[in-house]
Amino acid sequence: MLQVSDISFSYGRGRAAAQRVLDGVSLEVRRGTVVGLLGPNGSGKTTLLRIIAGVLKPESGRVLIGGHPIEELTRRDLARRVAVVPQETHSTFDFSVIDMVLMGRYPHLGAFELEGASDQTIARDALAATGTTALELRPFATLSGGEKQRVVIASALAQASDMLLLDEPTAALDLRYQFEITALLRSLNTERGTTMIVSTHDLNLAAGLCERVVLLKQGRVIAHGTTDETLTAANIRLLYGVDADVQYHPRAGHLTVVPIARY
Amino acid sequence: MPDTDALGTIQPRAPIRQRVLWTVAGFGTLAAAAVLLAPLAGSTRIHLGTAFDRSIPYADNVDAQIFFVARLPRVLAAALVGSALALSGVVFQALLRNPLASPDTLGISAGASLGAMAAITFHIEFSMLGLSSVTIASFAGWLGALVIVSGLSMARRRGSSAVVLLLGGVTVHLLLSAVIAFVQYLADFTETFRNVRWLMGSLDVASYSPIVAALVPMAIAWAGFATLPRVLDLISVGSESAAARGVNVERTERIALVSASLATGAAVSLAGPVSFVGIVVPHMVRLLVGADHRLVVPASALFGAAYLIACDLIARTIIAPLELPVGIITAIIGGPVFLWLLFRRA
Amino acid sequence: MAALSTRVTLAILVVLGLGYGIPKTVRLKADTTDTSATPKAVRVKADATYASAAHGVAAQELPRRIVSLVPATTEMLFAMGAGPRIVGVSNYDRFPPEVARIAKVGGLLDPDVETLLSLKPDLVIVYDTQADLKRQLERAQVPIYHYLHRGLPDIMETMRALGARIGAKPAADAAATRIEQQLAAVGRRVAGRSRPSTLLVFGREQGTIRRVHASGGYGFLHDVLELAGGTDVLNDLHKQSVEMSTEMILTRKPEVILELHYGNSLKPAAMDAERLVWNGLPSLPAVKNKRVYLLAGDEFVVPGPRIVVAAERFARTLHPEAF
Repeated sequence: MLQVSDISFSYGRGRAAAQRVLDGVSLEVRRGTVVGLLGPNGSGKTTLLRIIAGVLKPESGRVLIGGHPIEELTRRDLARRVAVVPQETHSTFDFSVIDMVLMGRYPHLGAFELEGASDQTIARDALAATGTTALELRPFATLSGGEKQRVVIASALAQASDMLLLDEPTAALDLRYQFEITALLRSLNTERGTTMIVSTHDLNLAAGLCERVVLLKQGRVIAHGTTDETLTAANIRLLYGVDADVQYHPRAGHLTVVPIARY
Repeated sequence: MPDTDALGTIQPRAPIRQRVLWTVAGFGTLAAAAVLLAPLAGSTRIHLGTAFDRSIPYADNVDAQIFFVARLPRVLAAALVGSALALSGVVFQALLRNPLASPDTLGISAGASLGAMAAITFHIEFSMLGLSSVTIASFAGWLGALVIVSGLSMARRRGSSAVVLLLGGVTVHLLLSAVIAFVQYLADFTETFRNVRWLMGSLDVASYSPIVAALVPMAIAWAGFATLPRVLDLISVGSESAAARGVNVERTERIALVSASLATGAAVSLAGPVSFVGIVVPHMVRLLVGADHRLVVPASALFGAAYLIACDLIARTIIAPLELPVGIITAIIGGPVFLWLLFRRA
Repeated sequence: MAALSTRVTLAILVVLGLGYGIPKTVRLKADTTDTSATPKAVRVKADATYASAAHGVAAQELPRRIVSLVPATTEMLFAMGAGPRIVGVSNYDRFPPEVARIAKVGGLLDPDVETLLSLKPDLVIVYDTQADLKRQLERAQVPIYHYLHRGLPDIMETMRALGARIGAKPAADAAATRIEQQLAAVGRRVAGRSRPSTLLVFGREQGTIRRVHASGGYGFLHDVLELAGGTDVLNDLHKQSVEMSTEMILTRKPEVILELHYGNSLKPAAMDAERLVWNGLPSLPAVKNKRVYLLAGDEFVVPGPRIVVAAERFARTLHPEAF
């Protein structure tokens, strides 16, 4: 469903472009899979997500979504196919939860079109799917971190896209909410078949959530494949310079990563 | 109205279409009432019948002249200026993602002030089309400021445009304020007096030509504003998430900046810098209609007009037969209201 | 919690900013244009303070190096023959022509203290409101004359007091008396004629009828107007200068409008254009009867000996048939 071919990108121009943030990155994501994008700070994960979402334009290479090059899609078109869940969301003004979720309907409406009954239904369904129905009229700013993330996920669901891009979805959350969000995302993938790309530092999250992972270092893909095959101690050493113990955890049902020492 | 009490008993909320209609109807009525009633009141008693009596030759009809020359233009000017400043305030607050932003933040009105004070201090005297040199110079001043701020915003880095715009605009504002201080320094006693008075704002336009002249940039601004409400909602949550939802953020920011600057520049050229309208009216409106810009934008335009008409009415009647500059009234009302809003938020 | 203190800090900054901004725009502490509480013919404070008594400085020396920061007193000094004794004048002095050759030391708002002191004056005439300057001069032990002015009679008072102070009493008294007689002559010329209600305009925004500042029934120009046979249309307000709204002008219905232009005056064609601006208010008797006059010249701004010229010009304009 998503094909990224040989993408390169750097911030700044000419001499200011210190180095390539992304250098010849390619990856492929099949419909309905959950792919983790792993890598240290500065590896280019967020930039890659921005390029896939159409927010940034790559210097070279192509991105194809559902077979369409994204340059040929209008912004709205692209937004109907790809939704983004950022790491943190701050609303300047006092929007309620349902307001925030309804903003996700924007790509489906005309320039001056107002949301109608069907949009309201879709929004409420999204709230239900994320377990936030009770929060519908609460001001967004008064929610806890986990509640906010769930609402943001709900608004991404309301966008009715086939693919979700999540940038560090649990980074700002405590253990309980990490667990909740992970469970939510897993169930969304299972029940709705939503394709997901999750960019994260949290190797355990990736292990628990993602069936495939792509390892990014200094703008290059150094490894990709199924989680079980790719999330190895050797690769972790390559990626983070850390000696870690990678074990299958029977109760959790997935791999766990425990860092042991600096490499 | 805010739909919840304390922690979220859900009250049903009308669909957006209805809320837009009610908002426009309600605030529209308020604004219309202000425009129709304000010219009737003033420091002098007049008889409406006499004012509209066609049989009395216009040159002799004092009541008519008071109504049509002294009061009606200033009510219309108040409506235009109040509306323009309120709308600009809404747009800047969303654009800069900063509820403390005002039309003054980016230095556009400082440019207009500089033009006016230069005209006063250096006795630049050319008037045309019924506009005084001060008004024309003021226009030129804000155009210059707009060019500088636009230039700065074009040279922005990706992804941080709001911050760059804000910093650039504040810098322009400070720079222009320094130049203004210098111009004031060069002024003699009389010129200083006139400068100071100009800064307090005055809606007593006494003719329709400056209003008509101001309508041109304001109409363009309104056309721009009309495209903005929903995208302002999205941008105020984050420009990247807005972009990911299909908003052309760069183009929107440009339209917003130019429209708000046009409106502010025209307003300041017409009436001088009237403070606290652009920063307070949007908040007052949000208290009444909530945060959705599709309600806030039209409501601010209409409420801004009514608000400034009311302030001007107070300004011209409270110490009759003399008048206070309208800027003083807006500051006296707006300042405490703004402080209250700030503390309420916290 | 961190967010709370940020907002409170912001609020405080906003209030401070306002506190700085608003007074900054009203920074004319020395606002002599609004002395409304004082009655018309108050005696000027003819005071001459001397340097601190610690050194027992003799107080009777005749000043030979006078600095006058007030254009009016400069003209008065010349009128009493003390011109040669002036070593410094303000930037705004224009008359008599000899002042072009005298050193300039700033003005009411921006006195140039360095230049002033470098002239080694033995008497400095300052505005009563120039508190900072007075302090500095006292520290430098320079004698000061406080100039204070309210209405027309104060011109003669000041001349006499100044004459006594600098030891030119006979000449000063004679000059003052001459002015009094000339003014009285003007008054006699127009005596008994009907006094039109007059709007005396000090300034307005060029090209429009906006920001009209007019005499409000107080001050030396008001006195001159009354002497010249006109009635100030804002007599009841007792303020030196009033900003008039359009409505106010329409309600007061002045029969004559006298507009003063001074400093860089306009060319004749521009003056005509400015006069036509008043046609925007056709119901005013002054406009209907074509009695709108623009007068240019700086004798109107200087409450000194040339006030006689101002009075004559007023009188000629108001009552041309008497001349």
